[in-house]
Order: sequence, then structure tokens, then C-alpha cells
Amino acid sequence: MGIEEAWLIPTYGFIAFGVLAVFGRYLPVPGKYLSVGAIVLAFVTFWPVLFDFVSRGVGEHHLARKWFTAGDVSVGSGMIVDPLTIVMLALVTFVAMLVQIYSLGYMKHENNGREQDDPNITWYFAAHSLFTAAMLTLVLADNMLVLYLAWELVGLCSYLLIGFWWQRQSAVNAAKKAFITTRVGDVGLLIGILVLASETGTFDITQTIAYVTGDDYNQGVVTFSAFMIFLGAMGKSAQFPLHVWLPDAMEGPSPVSALIHAATMVTAGVFLVARLLPVFEAAPSAQLTVAIVGLVTAIVGATLALVVTDLKRILAYSTMSHLGFMMLTLGAGGYMAAVFHLLMHGVSKAMLFLSAGSIMHVMHEETDINKMGGLRHRMPVTALAFTVGALALSGIPPLAGFWSKDEMLLAIKDGLNPVFLVLFLVAVVLSALYMARAIYLVFYGELKPENRGVQEAPGIMSLPLLVLAILSVFAGFIIFPLGGGYEGIGNFLFTAEHHAHDLTIEALWTIVSIVLAVGGMALGIWLFKSQRASVDALRARFAPLHRLLINRYYMDALYQWIVDNVVLAAGRLVAFFDRRFVNDGGVNGVGYATVEAGKRLRVHVTGLFADYGIAMTGGVSLIVLYLWWRSS
Amino acid sequence: MTLELVDVQILAAALFCLGLYGVLARRSAVMILMSVELMLNAVNVNLVAFSAFRDISAVTGQVIVIFVITVAAAEVGLALAVIMRLFRARGSVNVDELDLMKG
Repeated sequence: MGIEEAWLIPTYGFIAFGVLAVFGRYLPVPGKYLSVGAIVLAFVTFWPVLFDFVSRGVGEHHLARKWFTAGDVSVGSGMIVDPLTIVMLALVTFVAMLVQIYSLGYMKHENNGREQDDPNITWYFAAHSLFTAAMLTLVLADNMLVLYLAWELVGLCSYLLIGFWWQRQSAVNAAKKAFITTRVGDVGLLIGILVLASETGTFDITQTIAYVTGDDYNQGVVTFSAFMIFLGAMGKSAQFPLHVWLPDAMEGPSPVSALIHAATMVTAGVFLVARLLPVFEAAPSAQLTVAIVGLVTAIVGATLALVVTDLKRILAYSTMSHLGFMMLTLGAGGYMAAVFHLLMHGVSKAMLFLSAGSIMHVMHEETDINKMGGLRHRMPVTALAFTVGALALSGIPPLAGFWSKDEMLLAIKDGLNPVFLVLFLVAVVLSALYMARAIYLVFYGELKPENRGVQEAPGIMSLPLLVLAILSVFAGFIIFPLGGGYEGIGNFLFTAEHHAHDLTIEALWTIVSIVLAVGGMALGIWLFKSQRASVDALRARFAPLHRLLINRYYMDALYQWIVDNVVLAAGRLVAFFDRRFVNDGGVNGVGYATVEAGKRLRVHVTGLFADYGIAMTGGVSLIVLYLWWRSS
Repeated sequence: MTLELVDVQILAAALFCLGLYGVLARRSAVMILMSVELMLNAVNVNLVAFSAFRDISAVTGQVIVIFVITVAAAEVGLALAVIMRLFRARGSVNVDELDLMKG
């Protein structure tokens, strides 16, 4: 086993999906174990690949394989195994595995006092397998077409899983919203890929990067395709203004949210930009746009997370905000910092969502944080996990998020205008603030009387939480040179295009970042613990701002208006054209014309034998006369 | 005055026209059938005449006439059967009343 066999990692998931989708009902064992087995196998297979990768020398291994050739264009189905792929494989297989194990417990519902599996549980796990497999294919793909296929599969699976409880109208709407919103970006991605390919003559990612890092590339075309590709990344990674699907996607089961937010869906956009970062670096205006969009997303997400009262939506907006950080960092050229934060955020956010899932599981799908409080007495493991995750994401040392946030800060400081840095720091404070609010309102304070019967979730759900909690504490240390030839994540992620990056700590900025994170946290706790009244006062004082925030910046209203007044109006116009011209004129017109022509033409068909005879005789006579005339 | 080829041809043409007139003008299906036989025989006369006047040793014309007569006999049998069924079905063999094919 070595990196040549890396293709096995996604294959298990595809096989599990195929078997479950076709034979799910007839399997001797419950289908869920097959799916969990497949992902465990994928995780196990990852390790030989990693060791082989390290022993061959960390770097970019391009395992080319030909798929088909059409004219001059050859499309491969090979793999790129480089440090980025390796870390993504690790994150996706690991998080997906824990999420699936957790789902075994989560997808049981209480029914007449007995715990029972969800009736569609086989389909749930089938879609889960496909989701993970698609994402793994996406990170391994060595050419844009395969990547695009996997990209669309990821979108499809998110649709299937967000709408898993299709009996609820809101889930159906959320699923459609997610699918359609990301489609808007996907169209851009496809255009970008095709334009870039028509310029470079290849879909191969390595060759494309070689083209844009070369001396003469077509600046206009590269810039255009970079913008278009980023549009795709915006849709998938919920960047402003295509972020509206993300909070609604909370309608899906909580483990699905964990998977979407940590491993398989929203990271795809960041991964894409990271993979194609040289393309963006060749188009400075596109890269600046990435930074600006990332910054706006970070601020919008963080401010919205401050006001929503739905626990899962707080986490969703937090994800959005952190994705904004990653995009901002990529826009600043901080390849390593962004990928590092992607990993740290993935681990912590998966845990936060699973914790939220545990709470919902034991509180009968309750998500309003105002109805919680004091849950730490009842759910100690969940409380511990959630708190660790929230602190890690807020950037409290020495937890995972602190190291990555520090790296991002330095990258932004070096790569961009100070304005970005200041706003980034504001978002960091907000990030700590909303996390403090969530922790405090859910786990601390008074336990509500109606919640006295709440019990910790079953062990199969708590175990993944604990694993992720330990990781959230220690994962950040991969930034240090840990010995054994490992020189820290900065050097590990080194590739031809990105310079090796030793661990750098600038004391001043580190202190600033710690102070801001701790300060934000403390402010949050202080506000919600002792000064409950002052929160209400603040809310009253900034009433217009509060109204803006609880209406989500009116983005949803704006899109609704656009749909009502532009899309539907255009639809009506097209429908009118279709009815009036295509249908009445074209389809019915042909039929009508035929009938009328028939009415006029049938006069000669008398049915009388003699008439036919005369016509025949006359015709033959004429032909004979003509032949005679011609021959003479 | 000897018999020339053209005389026989005139006879054949006259016979053919009589038959054609009968086919077009008669109403009774039986009469039309007889007229068709007349037209066939006009052709036969023509064939025999050509055979006799051109090259008496080649009997092609006569042989074909035998074939035509045979086929015509079979055709008459078939046609009469059709006419009989027609009469049974509709009580008449007047072709002017048979206008089911009218558009």
C-alpha cells in the first residue's frame, strides 16, 4: 500500500453508497454498519498513504492516469497527492468517521418509550457515504473536470441530507435553497474552468498552475476565470452574498451540519481557492476580491451570530465568519495559515455541532438558547466539549484555534492593507463575544425547571465528542516542529509554489491577539452573566442596528424580492411567449394548417371508380403523347 | 389485298378502346370486368401479330399470350368472387355506389 492506492480512500464510500442505495433493504445486517465500516476502512487506508507519502519525501506527487481523449484535449483521472491533499484527507476521513459513529446514536428517536432507528436510516447513511466519497474525490482530483464532477456531487449530497426530513416543509425549502444558491456559484465555476481550459488547452491542475506561474500568460483570461472560479467557491463556502443557504441548512440532522461545516461541503470552496491559489496570484484583482469578500463575510457572519437565538444558527454564522477568515487569509496569500485554520476550525466546529446535536437529541429538538441554561449540571461531557470547542474557535491559547488565528493575523498583516487587519481583529473580538454568549446561555446560569429531566446523551454520541475535544486542545501543536523529520505544518505544506514557512511568532501581535480574544470572551461573559439588563439596554439603544441584524441584513428579503419581481416576471414572459408563439403558433399552427389544407385538397377524391379510371387513362395518354413528342 | 401488320394493330387498338370505354362508362362491376378482358385480349392480338409478322420462328409472343390468358383466367375467378361477396354485402354491383374511399 502506498500513495498509488490513495484512490481506494474515496472508493469505499462509493461502493457503500451503491450497495446501500440498491440493496439497502435486503442486507442481512443493518445498512448503517456497512457505511460506518466503509468510512473506518477509508480512515485506516489513509495511514499507509500518509507513511508512504512521508517516506517518499513530502512534496507534490502527481499520479497521472488517462481517462479519455476528445480531439486535442486529454482528460485524466489521476490524483494529486501533495501536502494539501494529505491534510484534507486526514480531516475529511477523520471527521466523517466520528460523525457517522455519532449518527448511530443520534438517528435513534424515542417512540413509545423505546429507542428506534429513523425509518429512512439506510438512506441517511448511504447519502453520508456518497457525501464523504465525493469530497475525498474532490481533494484527490488532478484535473478540473473530475474536480467539478465531485463538486457537483457534494452539492447534490448536501441537498439530499439537508432535506433528509422531507416531511417538514421547512427542510424541503432549506434543501432547495442550498442547492439553488450554490448552483449560482457552480455555473461560474464551470465557466471559469472552461475558459481557463480553452486558454491553457488542458484541464490538468498541475499544468494549469505551471501555465499561470510561467512568464507569458493571458492576463485578461486568467483574471476572468479566477473571478468565475471564485464565484463557485463563494457559493460552496457560503461567502457573502451567497451565504443565505448556510443558516437554513440547519434544518438537516445535526451530524449532517457537523459534516457540512467541518469536512465536506463548505471547506470545498476554501480548498478550491487554496489549490488554485497560483491562478489567483496571477490575477491580483481577483485575489483582492477574495480578500474583500472574505472580510465582509467574516464581519457579516460574526455580527449575525451575535443576535440569533437558535443554537445551530449561531454555529452556522460562526462557520460563515471563519470561512471568511480563511478566504481573507488566502486573499492575503497566506496559503499555510488558511489551510491550517481550515483544519483547526474543522475539528472544533465538528465538535460544536455534535454537541449541539446532543443537546437537541436530549431536549426534543429544542434549539432556542433562551430555553436552555445551566445544562452543564446535566450534560457535563457535552458542556466540556462545547466549551473547549468554543474557546478553541475564539482563539484562547493554547487551544487549536489560537495558533491558526495567530498565523492568519501575521499573513494578513504582511499581505494586505492595515484596514483589513483592523477589521479582522474586530471580527476576532466578535467571534469571542458570540461564543461567550452561546456558552453562557446554554451551559451556565440557572437550570430551567422544565429541563431538570435532561440526561447526558448516550455513550456512542459522547465518545466522538471527547475524541474531538482532545484534538481541539492539542491539534494546534502540529504547528511546532515535533521531531522525526517533521518541521511544523508550515514546512509540511511547502510546495513548489509556496515557500517553506517556519513557525513565526511575533510577540507583539500574539499579545494583541490574546488580549482581544480573552477580552471578547470576558466581555461576553460579563454582559450575559451580571449585566443581563445592560444587554437589553444595548439592544434598545441600537434598535435600528438590531433590527438590521435580526433581519439578516435583509439579504433574504432582497433575494425574495429578486425572485418575485425579476425571476418570476421573466418566467411569466417566457411562459407567455411559449403559450402564444411556440404553442399556439408553432405546434397548434402546424396541425391547423394541415387540417385546412386537407379540407381544400380532398375535393378531387370522389371515391367514384370512373373518375379514377378517367384520370388514369388521361395521365397515361399524356405520358405517351409526351414521350412520342420527345422522340420525334 | 393482303393482311398487313398495321391492319391487325388497328383492330387491336379498336378492341382496346372499346374495352376502355366499357371500363369507364359501365356501372355494373361485371360489365367492367368483361371490358377489362377485352382490353387484355387487345394486347394479346397485338402480341400475336408482332410475333407472326416479325419473325415467325420466334414464338415469344405466342408464349406470352398463353401466359396472359392463364393469368386473366385466374384474375377473372378472383374478381368474380370479389363481385359476389360485394353483391352479398351490399345488394348491388353498381360501382357508382361504392364510394367508401371518398375523401
